Amino acid sequence: MNLSTRMIVVLTVVGLLSGSFLAIVGQVTKERIIFNKRHEIEMAALKVVPGARLVKMIYEERDFAVFEDRDEAGNLLGYALQAAGTGFQDKIVLEIGVNAELTTVLGLTIIEQKETPGLGAKITSEEDFLRYWQNRDCTKELTLRKPPVEDPDALASNEVNAITGATISSRAVLNIVNEAIRKARQLRAEGKLSGMN
Amino acid sequence: MAQKTTRQQFFKGLWAENPVTRQLLGLCSVLAVSNAVINGVAMGLAVTFVLVFSALLVSLIRTIVPNQVRIASFIVIIASFVTIADRVLAAYFPQLSKAMGPYVPLIVVNCIILGRAEAFASKNKVWPSIIDALGMSGGYVLTLLLMGFIRELLGNRTVLGTQILGQWFEPWVVMLLPPGAFIMLGLIIAISNFIDFKIKERRKQP
Amino acid sequence: MNLLIIFISAVLINNFVFYYFLGLCPYLGVSRKIGPSISMGMAVTFVLSLTAVSSWMINHWILIPYGLDYLQIVSFILVIASLVQLVEMFIRKVSPPLYQAMGIYLPLITTNCVIMGLALLAALKNYNFLETVVFGVSAGIGFTLAIVLMAAIREQLELADVPRPLRGAAIALITAGIISLAFMGFSGIIK
Repeated sequence: MNLSTRMIVVLTVVGLLSGSFLAIVGQVTKERIIFNKRHEIEMAALKVVPGARLVKMIYEERDFAVFEDRDEAGNLLGYALQAAGTGFQDKIVLEIGVNAELTTVLGLTIIEQKETPGLGAKITSEEDFLRYWQNRDCTKELTLRKPPVEDPDALASNEVNAITGATISSRAVLNIVNEAIRKARQLRAEGKLSGMN
Repeated sequence: MAQKTTRQQFFKGLWAENPVTRQLLGLCSVLAVSNAVINGVAMGLAVTFVLVFSALLVSLIRTIVPNQVRIASFIVIIASFVTIADRVLAAYFPQLSKAMGPYVPLIVVNCIILGRAEAFASKNKVWPSIIDALGMSGGYVLTLLLMGFIRELLGNRTVLGTQILGQWFEPWVVMLLPPGAFIMLGLIIAISNFIDFKIKERRKQP
Repeated sequence: MNLLIIFISAVLINNFVFYYFLGLCPYLGVSRKIGPSISMGMAVTFVLSLTAVSSWMINHWILIPYGLDYLQIVSFILVIASLVQLVEMFIRKVSPPLYQAMGIYLPLITTNCVIMGLALLAALKNYNFLETVVFGVSAGIGFTLAIVLMAAIREQLELADVPRPLRGAAIALITAGIISLAFMGFSGIIK
């Protein structure tokens, strides 16, 4: 066969073989990959609302999603809000647990961040930052306490300790949380949340 | 030039023709994933997998593929193996996959792979091509692990996640950040050059 | 507003060379003089814009709707390679002076991490069409900034007495590290 034909044949065969092979690999791994993605989100949504056993996504838009958290009996314990925003270095994605009335922040966990290791990255650590988010009153806007205080009880009910040396990252998290709660309230007003039951 | 023995074929990839420190290939990935040893291990395995299997396939089909479509075919082959590595990682090691970000798919443009396919596998038999690929991977992995070890130890006090240095050591956080990667790699190349000069000098002396 | 953030981020804060480590091969090879560096930067920016558009279209019109996301790597690289070929032929025919200025760098760009990196990062970040285009152009500008800076410094370094082991790649990388450190000062300008 002449050169042109050979070129076409070789390219077609290589293309078809690799295409088929990839299709097989793609199928085999597809389930697990989808599962992994969902699992991580669900774990975070369960973690931030204490006592939750079941989660269900009820709203999704870009950089914001709402999950219903229920216990085994099916009672609504609260909502998990997945929100993203700009941090010091790059995007921060976090999960906020709020009660069903949207009045108290139950907990917070960071899903994704690329902040400075040893400084801004401390926002992921329980000891340095996350524990201050439990049981915060969010009927008014949450604020940052800077410089941070030693005794957590000295914080006002809507205050959270900033991290020394990582003010911008701490503030970024705060802004994302306030914005997320604002959005949740708006959805509630529009009747898009299932409400109290 | 005399035919290299199998041993020489393999070892040249580790030092004399080390793809990173001598040929200056694959730098993007070495810098990006050397912030923790475990990332380096995962990347090293992925690159070895892609390099060896694409060398094998390229060498197998080297006589059938016409010259003009050579590069295109090689790219498809390499891209396929990279996809396999990336999918397997995402499916069974999701944490690692997320930590490495786009750098596993970027293996497809890692100059080492296409470079070896062009320069060696397309012109040699299967077995020598595999040995060459293994040697090059070895050199790459060694450099990557060395970088990873130093960066993780100095930047985080840990190696593979376990703390090695005590609390007395204040971590050099810069080591975990891009500047640390650049400077460290520059120093490693400089030291490797230095050792090389010394070896050559010693050979010249009667 | 979001577009402005993407622009500043890609040029300064998450610069493709100093933060993502992309584009180093041509970077080390070409950035010895300022002139060629500018040409290289222009060529890369041009290819990046085209890649941004085409990778978005492929991802959102073919791969995702048909569940073919495992073909992302293969399709991206093939499109990039073809795109660069076409662009080179086109420029050669249409404008020989332009070809002289930047066309010769085009073959070098195909296996350049920057192009593939842009396609992958834009897909990872899930940008919409306009955001992807802005991202692509900004990445190109950031890359050009990086190599021109490097070239300027290396021109001076040529006159300095660099110790033998450090000459070439080693000192280039260390310089890149110092510039990278300086660029870190840009973090946090978006609040």
